[in-house]
Amino acid sequence: MPVEIPKEKWTGKVRLVTLGATAAEGGTRTRRVTVGGGTTLPFLFFEGDMPHKPVIGIEIRDRKPDDWSPLLGLAWGEAMNDPGDWAKAAEQAGADAIVLAFNLADADGKAPTAAHAKATVRKVLQATGLPVIVNGPGQADLDNELLVAAAEEGAGERLVLGLCEDRNYRTIVAAALGHGHLVQARTAMDVNLAKQLNILITDMQLPLDRVLMDPTTGALGYGIEYGYSVMERLRIAALQGDSMTQCPMIVTPGEEAWKAKESKVGEGVPKAWGDWQERAINWELVTASSLVESGADIVVLRHPESVKRVHAMIDAMMAG
Amino acid sequence: MSSSVTFKPGNEAVTVPPGTLLVDAAQLAGLEINQPCGGQGRCGRCLVRVESGQVRRRSTLRLSAEDLSAGYALACQTVVDGDVVVDVPPQQAAERKLATDKTAVTVDLPFPYNPAIDQTLRTIYLEIEPPSMADQTDDWSRIKRVMLPKLECQAIETSMPMLRRLSKILREADWRVTAVVELGGWDRPACPARLVNVRPGYSVDQLWGIAVDIGTTTVTVYLVDLISGTVRAQAADYNGQIARGEDVISRIIYSSKARRSEPEANRLEMQQLVVDTINRLVEHVSYQAGIFQTDIDKAVIAGNSTMIHLLLGLDASSIRLDPFVTTVNQPPELTADRLGLAINKAGTVDCLPGVASYVGSDITAGVLGSRMYEATELSLFVDVGTNGEIVLGTADWLISCACSAGPAFEGAGVVHGMRATTGAIEEVWINQETLEPQYRVIGDVPPRGLCGSALISLLAELFIAGVVDKAGQFIMDLSTPRVRIGDYGPEYVVAWANETAEDVGDLALTKVDVDNLLRVKAAIYAGFDVLARAVGVDLADLHRILIGGNFGKYINVEKAVQIGLLPDVPWDKFRFLGNTSARGAYLALLSRSARNQLTSIAGMMTYLELSADNTFYESFTSALFLPHTDGDRFPSVKSLFEDRKA
Repeated sequence: MPVEIPKEKWTGKVRLVTLGATAAEGGTRTRRVTVGGGTTLPFLFFEGDMPHKPVIGIEIRDRKPDDWSPLLGLAWGEAMNDPGDWAKAAEQAGADAIVLAFNLADADGKAPTAAHAKATVRKVLQATGLPVIVNGPGQADLDNELLVAAAEEGAGERLVLGLCEDRNYRTIVAAALGHGHLVQARTAMDVNLAKQLNILITDMQLPLDRVLMDPTTGALGYGIEYGYSVMERLRIAALQGDSMTQCPMIVTPGEEAWKAKESKVGEGVPKAWGDWQERAINWELVTASSLVESGADIVVLRHPESVKRVHAMIDAMMAG
Repeated sequence: MSSSVTFKPGNEAVTVPPGTLLVDAAQLAGLEINQPCGGQGRCGRCLVRVESGQVRRRSTLRLSAEDLSAGYALACQTVVDGDVVVDVPPQQAAERKLATDKTAVTVDLPFPYNPAIDQTLRTIYLEIEPPSMADQTDDWSRIKRVMLPKLECQAIETSMPMLRRLSKILREADWRVTAVVELGGWDRPACPARLVNVRPGYSVDQLWGIAVDIGTTTVTVYLVDLISGTVRAQAADYNGQIARGEDVISRIIYSSKARRSEPEANRLEMQQLVVDTINRLVEHVSYQAGIFQTDIDKAVIAGNSTMIHLLLGLDASSIRLDPFVTTVNQPPELTADRLGLAINKAGTVDCLPGVASYVGSDITAGVLGSRMYEATELSLFVDVGTNGEIVLGTADWLISCACSAGPAFEGAGVVHGMRATTGAIEEVWINQETLEPQYRVIGDVPPRGLCGSALISLLAELFIAGVVDKAGQFIMDLSTPRVRIGDYGPEYVVAWANETAEDVGDLALTKVDVDNLLRVKAAIYAGFDVLARAVGVDLADLHRILIGGNFGKYINVEKAVQIGLLPDVPWDKFRFLGNTSARGAYLALLSRSARNQLTSIAGMMTYLELSADNTFYESFTSALFLPHTDGDRFPSVKSLFEDRKA
């Protein structure tokens, strides 16, 4: 007896969003990345299209961070000492986009300045032809200062500015509007909050094809199921035609996975946990690939080996 | 080409080009028409009536179809299109006209009242044979002997507090007294009757009762003349328990705590606090009406279940804990001395029946007071107090739920909040251009604070004027000194220190207050949403929205819709009923059949426990936005913004 596979009839579609501008569009990027456009849940090709595959951003810092796992230090080596070198290494490691994140303090413990932000952004833009996502250190006032400077320096490059949150969206959106950038709209794992921030952003006249939703995630074992289900619900709402949820999603499994004890701690843990490095990479891999399954369009990772494996996973899934 | 405009009643006339605004023409004619909103057609204060001639109305907001057909127009939104005659009502008349769109029902006699039929209390005059050596019958038997034939009753009882006073009164009054008898309450319909009072001399035309509404924040007392059925005085005050917690949950927690070695000390304290509040109010209304407190022979009390438990000194802790049950939903009658109420000690206290832990007799009384139980079409009843209770249904079915709203709309928990009394700003308009406010104060004195209706209108105006965004965050880069960082973070100054009452300083609405108000309105709207979904109806299909609670008396529907507190349905579907709980208690005090009706309402109402409903949180967070995350639910607000963009 022939079995008929039931198919959902979705009416909505994920919006297409393009990161990076080449010379033709007024920027200096050699590559652009377009995400979104899906008309079904991830990889359900029998039901709809997924014209753009999920992509990987690699997180680099303006200077070598003090609190990252030594395993990441081993992986990136000397490149971590210079954001330009790090960006190049990340590009070689398979990044589709570079995520430049600022540390909260410089080596002397002082807050980074706008001039520092400009210089660093310039250096990274010169080192790589990939689209660049710029993240502040996560303190509202400092973020505003650094991101506005970054926006000015990268004018016309279609950078992604983040994090754009409910408390600072006016400044970030204004910077994006003024210099032709995109925003990474971060909300705390809640469908309504994500929609509300998109409404606020839209009210400022930034078109939604310049918005990436960042619904926040947790690592494997640290709340991933909650983040997963929020992303899934956002995507289902988008496919059902709710325009405020139709932006592509960016999530940061790298940052989350490398906070987990399983990744951070190599000694004094049960033997059954196995090899430290393999475990840490797997933690990032499983977190990221789960999120890709739940609808992530951009996953931001830290370790080059996880990048390779997530790419392999995405390619295998795209092959159908 | 030009048009002549004549203004009545003074017949000032001017000639203006067509297309001139009526307000401008009026100014030319030397008339001042107030425009508190700055001529944006939003406050409705510039109402005029076009008696003859052609005009064009740019906006008819705030006008009903009847108003329009009667020729009413907003002078700031109406242009001359030919010769016209316009009647400018005096400012007071305009205010009155506007007051009708928030029809507060005054406490009038609800039905033709006949104490002989409706009232359970009776007064009878007795002339009693004094005792003698020949007849040593005891006082009680002696009074019964005369009373029973007059009452046509088989038996009569009394109470200890009555007996304690009996001997003295009979002798001092020389055995000529007026007795007050309770002819059987709801829980003993077949009698026996009970003697509740004996007064010296002839006073059968004197009979008093009180209707009490114990709100979590506000306690209201009506003094009712049970002969005529009218409310002779009313008073309200904050519930004295507030000092022990602002919401029911914290009160329950406090009352359940043992103090030192006394497990019931806190419970007794809570009981005393509310009794003291009621007694203060009783003293006040008695003084107003010029009667003795001890002449009050009956108290009918409505309140949420926690308030009733605390009043009766019952253990309320199970109300708070899963599975959320009360000790009793229908408490038995008792005499006033048992509670220490400062009325006749032998007087009857009847606490009205509730439905569940969070739907108490304030709501059953509200349904009675609003006559919702008689409606054939779908109506929604909402009582906004510290808790928001909501009832949906028709004469055939009723379903209710309760959401914890907090006391913000009663003025508590807001930095400059206050009750709706003298000195409270009750409405605010903000000019969209200058961002300068205009406000109206109760009692025409310098303002001291913001009451619930002001909070709603202010939040709506801040939102519409673009001072706060849809998430309720202040936009700091506006060119006005009124938006600033204050002690509590960002705030909007409604009145500067030199305008306000002494010691008030700058009167502002802060970010903390806005967040608080957002949560309150979201909780209430989510309640509507969940209840409607539970029975599969659309809020847009409601035939009537009945609004009870002290708060409902003054709010402006337009503003409440703009912040997403009330569903966006045509204004003529809203009815403001004032304190329906007190009104329900008043009806039950007057009428035996109303009291019976109340028992059957309590019996037929289904209760939906929101804490067991997983859609509530989702509804709540989507309502935590101005007016709502799903903007399509509020078409009037949406079009307001679209008009402005255009």
